[in-house]
Amino acid sequence: MPLPFDLDLFAGLASLIFTLMILSYVIGDNFLFKLALYIFTGASAGYIASVAWWQVLLPKLVLPLVSNPVQGLTLVFVPLIGILLIVMKLSPRLAGAGRLPMAFIVGAGAAVTIAGALSGTLFPQVMGTINAFDASRGFLNVMINGVAVLLGTVLTLIYFHFGAYAKPDGSPRRLRVIEWLAWLGRFFIGVTLGTIFAGVYSSALTALIERITSIINLFGNL
Amino acid sequence: MRILAAVIAIAAGLLVLAGYFFPEISVLVTIQTLLLNWALLMLAAATLVGALNLAAVHTNKIRRREKGNLYSAVLLVFLFGVFMLGLIFKPGHEVMRLLLNGLLLPVEASLMAVLAVTLLYAGVRLLRRRADFTSLIFVATAALILLGSATLPFGNIPVVTSISLWVKQVLAVGGARGILIGVALGSLLTGLRVLFGADRPYGGN
Repeated sequence: MPLPFDLDLFAGLASLIFTLMILSYVIGDNFLFKLALYIFTGASAGYIASVAWWQVLLPKLVLPLVSNPVQGLTLVFVPLIGILLIVMKLSPRLAGAGRLPMAFIVGAGAAVTIAGALSGTLFPQVMGTINAFDASRGFLNVMINGVAVLLGTVLTLIYFHFGAYAKPDGSPRRLRVIEWLAWLGRFFIGVTLGTIFAGVYSSALTALIERITSIINLFGNL
Repeated sequence: MRILAAVIAIAAGLLVLAGYFFPEISVLVTIQTLLLNWALLMLAAATLVGALNLAAVHTNKIRRREKGNLYSAVLLVFLFGVFMLGLIFKPGHEVMRLLLNGLLLPVEASLMAVLAVTLLYAGVRLLRRRADFTSLIFVATAALILLGSATLPFGNIPVVTSISLWVKQVLAVGGARGILIGVALGSLLTGLRVLFGADRPYGGN
């Protein structure tokens, strides 16, 4: 059934109103900004909850139970119990029972984190640092860029080394050589964070320009 | 109950991890897939419970007539309104697309746009409050990268563009790699502490 109004125009007007409400923060925290944030929070929570229902709970939990109750129950029995225990977290008296499914989720999540950290970050980053010394890149390239990347990696890691020994007065102190190397690591951390800042700032500026352009386009189309 | 929770966390973690490390043993991969599917279902249910909890907190604020209860009422209207719309239509429906394009995406983009102003303000404040070695390097690098990548009215400055490219592709990569390896080592350690039962964030102390 076609909708009784121009969808794009309605979306454009709503977009204009919410953009102005959020941008009003530039003149200070105010009623309109807060209102937009609460609307956004409520709408996001409702949207995510409906996505969780349609994309996960309905096809993977409800439909197997409805289409073939006996076989479906054997498939989803454990998560069904887990879900019932999670729902108990809504009641302060029964919240303790929710600990078991949460322990299951945390355990599985920890395993995924370990595998992800190893295969997604640790190995590729170490290999990337080794590959910076690939001889096919040329001697000068390796000596300048490869060494700079290796120094950056090692010195930044040293900066985050907080192992210390106790001084005679009991206060902790890092080894002197670690202190010096960590000071050099601050240079690379400053450069990296400055680069990230510039990237985020560029994205934010692009978003600002996009919002202003969308407002101009909306008035142009009216 | 607490010991049982720790046993469940450790067993689930080890079985899922075994599936990653021994992909040639099909039984372990099957168990891993099954356990991850269960975790996904429980997470989806936890999302719904989270939304309900948010609604409960704001309902209490309205009932107690706390400060800002008008905002809470608006939040509840939108939470239940959007959820009901999502249940009646599906997330891909035109009405939900309208909601996405008219509300969620503009607010996200506008918040990002506000960040442009607040980041600039924060950068200036950083220099005024703490002008040490790291802060100076930070601001100088950010200025160099922005100068090197922006389209200037009088054209780009070749030297600045080359230096900013080198800083981005070599110096920043080195530092970023150090930070990423540090984060990965931290994640690895946190995960292992959960699997050894040393950390019990699910409340099993």
